[in-house]
Amino acid sequence: MNTADPKIQQSLYARHEKIYPRQAHGRFARLRVLSILVLLGIFYGTPLLRWDGHQAVLFDLPARKFYIFGLTLWPQDFVYLAGLLIVAALSLFFFTALAGRIWCGYACPQTVWTEAYIWIERKIEGTRSQQMKRDKAAWSWDKFRVKAIKQTLWLVFSLWTGFTFVGFFTPINELAASFIGFNLGPWETFWIFFYGFATYGNAGWMREQVCEYMCPYARFQSAMFDNDTLIVAYDDMRGEPRGPRKRSVDKSAAGLGDCVDCTLCYQVCPTGIDIRDGLQYECIACSACIDACDEVMDKLGYDRGLIRYTTENAIQNKPSKILRPRIVIYAIILAIATITVFYDLSQRVALDLDVIRDRNQLYRETNEGLIENVYTLKILNMDDNPHAFILSVEGITDLELFTDVDNIYVNAGTVSELIVRLRADEANLSAQSASVSFRLQAQDANHLIVEEEARFLGPRK
Amino acid sequence: MNDMSGMQIPFRQKCIVTLWPSFMIAIVATGLFFSAFDPSELYPYNLDIEINVVGAYTLGFFIFWALSAISSAITLYFAITNCRKIHADQSSHSPS
Repeated sequence: MNTADPKIQQSLYARHEKIYPRQAHGRFARLRVLSILVLLGIFYGTPLLRWDGHQAVLFDLPARKFYIFGLTLWPQDFVYLAGLLIVAALSLFFFTALAGRIWCGYACPQTVWTEAYIWIERKIEGTRSQQMKRDKAAWSWDKFRVKAIKQTLWLVFSLWTGFTFVGFFTPINELAASFIGFNLGPWETFWIFFYGFATYGNAGWMREQVCEYMCPYARFQSAMFDNDTLIVAYDDMRGEPRGPRKRSVDKSAAGLGDCVDCTLCYQVCPTGIDIRDGLQYECIACSACIDACDEVMDKLGYDRGLIRYTTENAIQNKPSKILRPRIVIYAIILAIATITVFYDLSQRVALDLDVIRDRNQLYRETNEGLIENVYTLKILNMDDNPHAFILSVEGITDLELFTDVDNIYVNAGTVSELIVRLRADEANLSAQSASVSFRLQAQDANHLIVEEEARFLGPRK
Repeated sequence: MNDMSGMQIPFRQKCIVTLWPSFMIAIVATGLFFSAFDPSELYPYNLDIEINVVGAYTLGFFIFWALSAISSAITLYFAITNCRKIHADQSSHSPS
């Protein structure tokens, strides 16, 4: 590619011809529409759900708390989110090895929103040929009117998308109220427009170029592929030699394959490639060409599946295997990661204890001749209920614990600081530094218990 | 073979390869950074700035984006100039 002719480079990167995908009809097109509607429904619907008096899914950035249905995550729980992201990435690898680019074709936000924008475009501008004709024609009142309506609908849809996006981070009820009252905060306004603009640009204008030039996954997905991975492919053994023919013509007598060279597979392609040229990285496996070709095969009375979901091996009449080392290894890694994350999440204690030693003084001798260390305890109650806590400590014989409050009581979702004094007899200290263990337990909830280690310092031995 | 004139990457493509990867990295960096540090405990040098938490996140995101974009741009610059140099060396040694 680096050595390519500059003219080719120019056409690859700079000059871009708009692709007018023809609408495909068929079983995969229906599956795709279903998938897109479900995913858009999840995106626009989730912030509207309520749970226990709060927004069901809210990544409350100002309050630094993530609500996911019954679960409340704190910044300390970032590791679980990271774990979930790792599980998501591993799932992507696994499903890519197994079923190819089904993510790209059915679930990627770029695909989902591009399809939504193309749907609007078709509603306003008409079919592929109507769009191409209008775009070639000189500007007229009708052309302006049609384009203006489409752009307006796109922009409104983009703003709604941006609004919903911000609604995942700011309570959407308050957001809607301030949106209607025209008193949105500057940052919320900014992000609504930023995200809306990104959606508008990516789904309205950039479309397949995002997949081709910007998507990292499109570049490295082939690394997960092998000859048993599901791909959308044209059966050239069956299709070639291609050529038009009358329906009455006997194709074998005329020396023709099944492909009638109608180019519908090319016309429906959202990335503008010809699947008959073989597997290409631009192909997002949306299967629109399968539907288009099946329709033509039906009309001609030929078998369906000249373009179909298949594997490299199957196309070459070799057996395809589902279970193979690559799949097994990905599955095992995925299973381990998933179980680890969800097990850890189920074992999560909604309580956190930080012990900070007093830095001014290593230790102090009391009037009774005991060694005293002072600590600041930070108690973070991440539970949805307030609790009273019992604090205990162990690690040194006859270790005494003093606090300046009688009851340790921490409200739901708050941090409380507590000064703690530990006293020990020097005779019980075997070394200059000893390890002590604080143990904090909620009085009314057995599962809310944490332990935290700290150092207890005494005179040099 | 040694025709490196294809290294004349169009401006638009340069913008994409600089701004886009740094955008993705900025999202990750912002997430990591602000899960470790609360913006309200972070205002440096006792600066008296009126900014709310979401504003601080936004600012943080753009600082991360700018820094990673600078890194991307330098990488791109080095890659292009290095290729041009190799190309110049090769074409002066081997008559083609």
